[in-house]
Amino acid sequence: MLALIASNLRHRWGRTALTALGVAVGVTTVVALLAVTAGLSRSAGDLAKLGRADFGVFQAGVSDLTASSLPSSAAARIASVPGVSATSPVQIVPHAIAADPAVLVFGAPLQGALVKRLVLVAGALPRTGEMLVGDRVAQRLHATVGRRLVVAGHRFRVAGIYHSGVSLEDGGVVLPLAVTQRLSGRPDAVSMVAVLVAPGYRDATVERAVERAVPGTAALGDPGEVARVDTNSAVIAKAAVIIAVLAVLLGAVVVVNTMAMAVIERRQQFGLLAVVGWSRSRIARLILGEAVTVSAGGAIAGLGLGIVASDLVVRALAAGTFVSPEITPWVLARGLLVGLALGVIGAMFSFWRVMRIPPLKAISP
Amino acid sequence: MSSSTRASARRTVTEIEGLPDPPVGGSGAAVEVRNVSRRFGPVEALRGVDLDVAPGELVLVTGRSGSGKSTLLNLVGGLDEPDSGAVLIDRRPIWQQANVSVARRDLVGFVFQQHLLLDELTARANVEVPLIGAGVPRSERRTRALELLAEVGLSDRVEHLPSTLSGGERQRVAVARALANRPRLLLADEPTGALDSVTSARLIELLVSLRDSHGTTMIIVSYDPAVRERADRIVTLVDGCIGSARARG
Repeated sequence: MLALIASNLRHRWGRTALTALGVAVGVTTVVALLAVTAGLSRSAGDLAKLGRADFGVFQAGVSDLTASSLPSSAAARIASVPGVSATSPVQIVPHAIAADPAVLVFGAPLQGALVKRLVLVAGALPRTGEMLVGDRVAQRLHATVGRRLVVAGHRFRVAGIYHSGVSLEDGGVVLPLAVTQRLSGRPDAVSMVAVLVAPGYRDATVERAVERAVPGTAALGDPGEVARVDTNSAVIAKAAVIIAVLAVLLGAVVVVNTMAMAVIERRQQFGLLAVVGWSRSRIARLILGEAVTVSAGGAIAGLGLGIVASDLVVRALAAGTFVSPEITPWVLARGLLVGLALGVIGAMFSFWRVMRIPPLKAISP
Repeated sequence: MSSSTRASARRTVTEIEGLPDPPVGGSGAAVEVRNVSRRFGPVEALRGVDLDVAPGELVLVTGRSGSGKSTLLNLVGGLDEPDSGAVLIDRRPIWQQANVSVARRDLVGFVFQQHLLLDELTARANVEVPLIGAGVPRSERRTRALELLAEVGLSDRVEHLPSTLSGGERQRVAVARALANRPRLLLADEPTGALDSVTSARLIELLVSLRDSHGTTMIIVSYDPAVRERADRIVTLVDGCIGSARARG
């Protein structure tokens, strides 16, 4: 049976390649979009964890959390809520670095909780006219201590390079809050307040207390919750799912049609197999075996292409710092499942088509 | 087929139940065709045909084009279902088998005018195809295919693709394939129709020798005089009925 499958696929290499391509297209799209949306969700979740905070407080009802705006005074009011051990106001300034517009600039008090939790891997804390650079940005922009980077048209010396463990934060730079407020032209505004919860308090309880104490705010600690509140991320995620579904449908049409055409072209072969006593189940196994072999090949190619494509999508959108594709085993497994499912659906449809032809009719020239 | 005629066919078949198990082994199968009719739209291809073929007998079925020869062969081989009447092989109605394909596999071998070999497979692999269907292990498949190809005189062509074989060689591969599952009944529908006279004569000699060595029952539809000379009995169909049946000589 295996030899027959191999022989059939080899001798109809054009059909085999076209079918595998259809599967690969579907799998590539699924893997790329799932990886990007997973990365997007993680980035959105990272916003709530800036400075390894327990939760972040944002302006309620904004579609993009980076566009959140709170008065500077909010930090002090939040700090007075029972259960809050420390706060750090943060201003997020996007598109401020000409060398890489995707890099986020974080403005925070240098003595605040956020900066205190940064681990310096090179250099020292900044003084006037200086900045800290996350290790991912440093690597990306080849920024070493002493080099200068242009932020919103002003040159700042790199005083130190930090690692926080929060992907989004490591992909940004930190300036004193007063500097970013001046650069952004919003001297009394911050984007969010990072909050540390005192020992003995539950995060959720403190979050609700903060929202009650400062009306118009949203306290977010769970990354999944952040992704839901950040409607831009949610819209992108939904759009990605729709695109993935359309790509899978397109792949399914290609695969099912190509397989069905190939099987109908070979109706005489299947008719002959029935005449010489092959049972329906054995013929089904032959068709399924061919389909699974081709779709597995297409799926494996699609997984590789999907990994490459997810990176290309992020680069094309100039969002490499804000979003890094999340290639998880679950993303790959879903891609593989989609590929195999396409093959099985194609095989089932082909089998149904060919079994409707009586053997006598099938073997007729 | 209408539901009433199918029911009639089933009744005919049911009346024959309770017979002892058929013989198992190398001898040919006994074929009984009982009052079989088959209609294709307005055309009555077969009308109440009765025919008995003894084990090991070589029967030539002849008649004019459209007389129902191929239809009869297809009904005997379980490739088509009668509207009424019954076909019994070794006293068992073939259409009452739980799985007709299994019955075909275990009992019947087919040779067609067009050899119907799979182009992408070698002669050996083509002979192995029915054995794959029967679940025969790979090593045994190979051995049996080589033996059969030797028997039909193609030992030196086992790894050749059909496209590199002559018409006669392809038909001999088809004969080897038909015999792969050691059928007790071989049905051949104009097996020499696409061959020249010399190759036809050789193929008929081959079939006769195989019948003599294996005891296989053979029903051959043909116009070929070479078959007429070697058949044990000649059955002539006229307009879907048995016109005459006579022993050779």
